[in-house]
Amino acid sequence: MIRLDGVSHAYGDDPVVEDVSLSVEPGEVVAVIGPSGVGKTTLLRLLALSVRPTAGTVTLDGRDAWALDDDERLAVRRRVGMVFQDASLFDATVERNVEYGLRIRRPWAERVRDQVRSVLGDDTIPEAVEEALDVVGLADALDQDARSLSGGEAQRVSFARALAYDPAYLLLDEPTSDLDPRNTGLIEAAVREARDRGIGVVVATHDMHQAERVADRVGVLLGDGFTEVGPAETVFETPADERTREFISGELVY
Amino acid sequence: MSVLLDAAVQAGPAVRSVPALVDFPFAEGYVTSVIAVSLYVSVAAVALSTLFGVPVAIAMGFADFLGKRFVKSVINTGMGFPSVVVGLLVLFAVSNRGPLGPLDLVFTREAMIVSQFVLATPPVTAISLAAITGVDDAVGDAARALGGTRVDTALVVIKEARYGIATAVLAGFGRAISEVGSVLIVGGNIVGSDGVSKTRTLTTAIQLEARQGRYGTAMALGAVLVTLVLLVNAVVVRLGDTGAVNR
Ligand SMILES: Nc1ncnc2c1ncn2[C@@H]1O[C@H](COP(=O)(O)OP(=O)(O)OP(=O)(O)O)[C@@H](O)[C@H]1O
Ligand SMILES: [Mg+2]
Repeated sequence: MIRLDGVSHAYGDDPVVEDVSLSVEPGEVVAVIGPSGVGKTTLLRLLALSVRPTAGTVTLDGRDAWALDDDERLAVRRRVGMVFQDASLFDATVERNVEYGLRIRRPWAERVRDQVRSVLGDDTIPEAVEEALDVVGLADALDQDARSLSGGEAQRVSFARALAYDPAYLLLDEPTSDLDPRNTGLIEAAVREARDRGIGVVVATHDMHQAERVADRVGVLLGDGFTEVGPAETVFETPADERTREFISGELVY
Repeated sequence: MSVLLDAAVQAGPAVRSVPALVDFPFAEGYVTSVIAVSLYVSVAAVALSTLFGVPVAIAMGFADFLGKRFVKSVINTGMGFPSVVVGLLVLFAVSNRGPLGPLDLVFTREAMIVSQFVLATPPVTAISLAAITGVDDAVGDAARALGGTRVDTALVVIKEARYGIATAVLAGFGRAISEVGSVLIVGGNIVGSDGVSKTRTLTTAIQLEARQGRYGTAMALGAVLVTLVLLVNAVVVRLGDTGAVNR
């Protein structure tokens, strides 16, 4: 389980999120919805342990991540995969991108040997890479240059890149913002499949319908914290909070 | 057919007179030795500048340390530092009274390497640093989010900056091979009695030819210099384009 307990984060003086709590269990999908600029990405970065909270604790499987030393925190951090809003692919082939998470988890001697081999043109492609690309429907793109992909293809490769090393938790930041309905369906199916394998998934999204389709629980981020966190049906059909109700009815018009 | 042949025969003498027009009054092996000295000095100096400057740029790009701003201002000053002054300082350093005096480097290619190293290091470092800091933060963030350590993240960023770093090395090479002031002072523009260059480079040779009014020869040597620079550029660009670097 990943937990935020009373977490605040500020980039400057004004906190973006303040006193926020949320927990994500293995095998559930939590959607975080909220207007643009409210702090959804910031929240995912906090969960991914890539930014340190200015207050509060982030706990992963019972361990207070920021109380650990660097090596221990690295081990904890490596159980989490994050897919960014912009794909942020490396300037390399699709295969090298998707393999990245696997590669850096190997010992240095092996990494150097593989690097030499791959420069010599002798690549063995890990099965996990092919599987992950298969999930996003890009099995044929292995050797393509990542910079030559379309926006939607890049987003799918980015998803495969986080899936390949089989993280215990998967954080997805607007994972389908550049995708057509067919590929959106593909990613949503992959999210459900990940959940069924026991992965805890957090999806930050603008798309309330997507939240309804994939989420077990939904958190509504308004202002500097959650106005409501609960089972998807409850949040969408009978929200307790007035601001949540206004936000949801306003957004659902579209 | 025969008309064409006639024309070709008539053109013959004109073609043969081209060398006379340019006037290459040099002993055999002279020009190649001048090219060799130019390449030896520039390549060695830039190799040293790269070994020194790129790690400095990496350290400055990824770490905060005391005196970082000082190093930065030294590099910026170094970019515009007059090469003759560098030559003078290096000449003094290797002279009998200088700190490097015991090495006996006055008017040697090695002294020229030292001065070209001093000249090429600032642009190599500054352009590498610009390339590294110019890499989108998102790339490092992604590496980290996928489980990368600080070292992994730095490696990814350096890899993204590889074309910029190659440009830095080329700029350093360009400065080293086309520079005339300091190599003249430090090297002395010496040719041995056998007509083979000791410390004469293409640039100092051109300067000498031009001063003696042999413009054609100077121009021909200039063309050789430009060709060399273009060739080295092409090789580096070609290396960057092959898949090997994309791996
Ligand atoms: N690195 C940063 N430095 C300073 N301010 C930042 C930084 N990242 C985000 N912010 C600010 O924090 C606030 C929340 O940003 P965040 O990216 O978390 O929002 P978001 O909910 O993901 O928005 P969107 O839906 O548009 O992606 C914004 O006002 C943004 O300007
Ligand atoms: Mg965002």
